Amino acid sequence: MARTVEFTLDGQRVAAPEGELLVHAAARHGVFIPTLCHDDKLDPYGGCRMCVVGVEGSPRPLPACATRVAEGLVVSTNSDVPAYRKTLTEMLLAEHLDPSPGGRPNELVDLAEEVGAETPFVLPDAKREPYEDRNRFMGYDPDACILCNRCVRYTQEVMQCSALSLEGRGPHARIVPTHGYSWLDTECELCGGCLSVCPTGAIYEKFEEGTTRPERALEKVKTTCTYCGVGCQIDLNVDPETKRIVKVTSDPTYLPNEGNLCVKGRFAFNFVHHPDRLTEPLVRGEDGELHPTTWEHALSTAAAGLNRVKAEHGAQAIGVLASARLTMEENFAIQKLARTAIGTNSVHSCEAT
Amino acid sequence: MGRGASTNSIPEIENARVLFVIGSNTTEAHPVLALRIKKAVRKGAKLIVADPRRIWLTKLASRHLQLRPGTDVWLLNAMMHTILEEGLQDEEFIRENTEDFDAVREVVARYTPEEAERVTGVAADDIRGAAREYASERHAAIFYTLGITEHACGVDNIWSLSNLVLMTGHLGYESTGLNALRGQNNVQGLNDAGANPMYLPGYQPLDDPEIRGRFSEAWGVEVPERPGYRLDQMISGMQDGRVRAFYLIGENPAHTEPNAAHVEHGLAGLDFLVCQDIFLNESARKYADVVLPASSFAEKEGTFTNTERRVNRVRRAVPLPGNAREDIDIVLQLARALGANWPDYRGAEDVWNEFADLAPNWSGIRYDRLEEVGLQWPCLDEDDPGTAYLHAPRPARPSGRGKFYPVEYQPPIEEPDSEYPFLLSTGRTLYHYNSATMTMRENGVTDKQEDPFVEISPEDASALGVVDGDWLRLTSRRGSIEARASVGDRVYPGLVWMALHFEEARVNLLTNDVTDSLIGIPEYKVCAIKVEPVAPALRPAAR
Repeated sequence: MARTVEFTLDGQRVAAPEGELLVHAAARHGVFIPTLCHDDKLDPYGGCRMCVVGVEGSPRPLPACATRVAEGLVVSTNSDVPAYRKTLTEMLLAEHLDPSPGGRPNELVDLAEEVGAETPFVLPDAKREPYEDRNRFMGYDPDACILCNRCVRYTQEVMQCSALSLEGRGPHARIVPTHGYSWLDTECELCGGCLSVCPTGAIYEKFEEGTTRPERALEKVKTTCTYCGVGCQIDLNVDPETKRIVKVTSDPTYLPNEGNLCVKGRFAFNFVHHPDRLTEPLVRGEDGELHPTTWEHALSTAAAGLNRVKAEHGAQAIGVLASARLTMEENFAIQKLARTAIGTNSVHSCEAT
Repeated sequence: MGRGASTNSIPEIENARVLFVIGSNTTEAHPVLALRIKKAVRKGAKLIVADPRRIWLTKLASRHLQLRPGTDVWLLNAMMHTILEEGLQDEEFIRENTEDFDAVREVVARYTPEEAERVTGVAADDIRGAAREYASERHAAIFYTLGITEHACGVDNIWSLSNLVLMTGHLGYESTGLNALRGQNNVQGLNDAGANPMYLPGYQPLDDPEIRGRFSEAWGVEVPERPGYRLDQMISGMQDGRVRAFYLIGENPAHTEPNAAHVEHGLAGLDFLVCQDIFLNESARKYADVVLPASSFAEKEGTFTNTERRVNRVRRAVPLPGNAREDIDIVLQLARALGANWPDYRGAEDVWNEFADLAPNWSGIRYDRLEEVGLQWPCLDEDDPGTAYLHAPRPARPSGRGKFYPVEYQPPIEEPDSEYPFLLSTGRTLYHYNSATMTMRENGVTDKQEDPFVEISPEDASALGVVDGDWLRLTSRRGSIEARASVGDRVYPGLVWMALHFEEARVNLLTNDVTDSLIGIPEYKVCAIKVEPVAPALRPAAR
């Protein structure tokens, strides 16, 4: 464990583990320093300067997201800092043409409100070349992008692949799939990590069956992903009117995935609403075809068929296959059905996995 | 060791210093867990990957042990040979916490790294190096999945890994252990819940009369004494008439089981078949007498247990389509229709409580404790915070000692020969899931991966006169399918690899339905096939 050091924060003597990022140490002592390019998943970066603080002995303000606590540090967040922060916010707003695309949350807009910054003017060359990508999951709006590079750093540091790059300079700068190909042609695994860390909604989910509702109006239901055995915790974002899942998100505080997801967990949920879903019980008729029927008839036919086999060949002639796709409770009920309602221990599954 | 589960937890992975990944294509099969492995490497850990293919993780690995499929026992025994030869074993742990070590010492003495190189194809120096690195680091963790288990010698492979862990004392503390990465959302929970022919819920042996008595009393019905059939026995039972009816819930065995044609034949001959699922799969469409429309994960309450034994809540977010019903309601209603006299369950929580009351290791887990974050079993009572890592302070077997099992190498049942010269191995990809009834309905995913493909080396492709994207016909003694060549160095000459997901090219028509004699896991990972180019005129170039 790191040793504890003392430093001064806005005139108060406070303690923190040596080497802790200033932004975290300050938060623990009740001083909230806003950040934009910072993400706890990523290495300290100090790109946007929104979190600058005064540090005694330093000729310039230092970014709290990339400065570590040391013994005797004297930190001030209330002298010139608010003015810096307001100016920086205005500079970003001046080239931010699309502050709330699709009603998505935007940390820059929230921050502007908080520090009282307004768009002073729009830079004449602020309009950037649009970017169209043929993948069906993610889109990118350069006019909403503040070039904080969180997305690129996520691909490099967390995914450790080269899927996205920052391309061009000045007004031509934008985020593109590495080498300018489509997201589908790079190393990109379509995990959507880039959009999960984007502070301004510049990278966003495309939806085949979307919603026009702003994201904040969606209802979140926390649950467990249905794919592999990692058990990622996710929020199904449901449109309260259509009762359809619109998107899947996850929170950095969730265990064990810390907000990270893969392509299936984040995007492959449309099967839930697919027109191929079975919606009626079916029973095979005299004609050899399956026909829709009532639950009562389907259940009594199922029970009669199983009971007939049991009467003729014994309970052991009936096999029950449970499933790893189902819940604990369902599987418990299924094995109980096999053991008590049919009378066999022949209950198993494709369970090697 | 005494538990059917991963020993350690997912968050601990990033603090391991040596990670030995064997038979797990983690970035594709468990992509989010793989992020912790990537993070560990970024923090300076050594990664050793043992896999026949040059999978993505080999990019980060300090060693890639590219063994021939099915030779894991040779590799692991030779690693143990090195450890003992160089005195790197943990004598104190062996003495205090294990039994039957001498039997393993005797066997591995014959498995020299030089001879291992001949059988496995991995250089003797790499085997020695991997053994040293693994044995001499305290925070060394092993991760494995189906590359280890899906062999006729699957249990041997697991025993070998367990021997390696016990020999080095890598057990019972953080960031170490033997971790089976579970492939499906609730495969851990399915087994925990007792959907098993030999075990009652909570891994309580069916052959123990006292335990059977306890369940019979709780349920008010005599629990049958006769052990049930395993899946492989049910499938062979369909052929010889021992099994006449099936109740299939959320399973698609004519796609996912080996020698699929044989399975389909069995389903066709049943007297009665009930299928319960969210989509109508091929076997249900052709053979079911009754089809019951069921619920997806987003339409119900309950729990899934993940690969680190964590019981997580599943919550209802959207309504069921049409007249579909929640699976649990269907099962309860069918039980009633069959004449069972079950209590009135008000919902999933009542069923959970019945399970937790009957299974001591889950007794402390109740819904009200799962609101914020799941709990890891064992969790014995309401004050127990759950268990992050197992086998502390001692292995969980009743004797308190981990058992060494000496393992001799058994070659795969079917090896390449002059008629079927290629070795076929199978697995999953990132973009699809099992029989892909869910993911093939996702256009954004199929953009990335739609046509069935088979990985083949540039040398073999060139010998066959095909290039990337050409169609190939793959034939084994059991069946034949077509897929497009994906030419690259992920496989070595003589090895081809294919994913199981494609309905129009079910690789399980080719795979061998021999199984491990002890637990019945099929040998999905090795069979012999021949590969021929399909004349281009016979197929459209692209869809």
